[in-house]
Amino acid sequence: MKLRRGKLLVDPPDCSSSDIAFTLIIFFLVSAGEHTETGIPQLLPKTEAKAEKGEQSKNIEVSITPTGIVLNGSPLQLQEFAQRIAEALKQKTREADRIVVVKSAPETPYPTWIGVSQAISQAGGVLTLELESERTINVE
Amino acid sequence: MADIAFLLLIFFVILARGEDDSHVQWQPARAKDVKVVSTARATVTIDVGFKTYLNGRVISPDELADALTPILGDAPSGQRYVFLKVHREAKATHFEPVIAAISDAGGDLVHILEPEQIPNKQ
Repeated sequence: MKLRRGKLLVDPPDCSSSDIAFTLIIFFLVSAGEHTETGIPQLLPKTEAKAEKGEQSKNIEVSITPTGIVLNGSPLQLQEFAQRIAEALKQKTREADRIVVVKSAPETPYPTWIGVSQAISQAGGVLTLELESERTINVE
Repeated sequence: MADIAFLLLIFFVILARGEDDSHVQWQPARAKDVKVVSTARATVTIDVGFKTYLNGRVISPDELADALTPILGDAPSGQRYVFLKVHREAKATHFEPVIAAISDAGGDLVHILEPEQIPNKQ
């Protein structure tokens, strides 16, 4: 038995394919732009000359090594450091006294550095980097 | 008409990719309490090979401050965001000079990090 195929009365318009492509591109561009970044903001004042020696001696000093953190001479792990720095900064009322001088060993891993800087910021400290080249950078 | 619009769009997409840094290979470090951050004026990346990039182009950390200054212009604080994407295995020798350069240029530094996964209690 033969089936008869009916003729189409109207041809689909050719011009609509480019319109569809255009709309698809717009859709993909908009959806690609939706990617959001997550992170920790840190306000960096411009690099300053090294603070005077007399004033610096009052500041809390932190050394970061690949194996641990040293706070005013005592070696600590990150969790303990966060508690100790919060206790130490609680007693400081003046902004100038809340400066924490951080010196990192060259082999200090980035995640350790981030953990220390986060603990200092959360405790209300003003992080100051002491670089090998004797430049001091304040990180609020 | 739509064809012209289509070609123009392709042109602008290719043009926009000039400042794209998606070709730079890096893995973010993880941290607690990370926030969703707004858009930045510039992105500085330290990749898996510990090379420094500014907006997807290789740059030396010594030249970074001078290159960032015109990008940041006279924008007020709060509109001078510089995203810092540091590969999780980078060491202080790699990222500290970069932080110093961003500081020199007067950028508002944002460390781009991945939120730490909280382990399921089962």
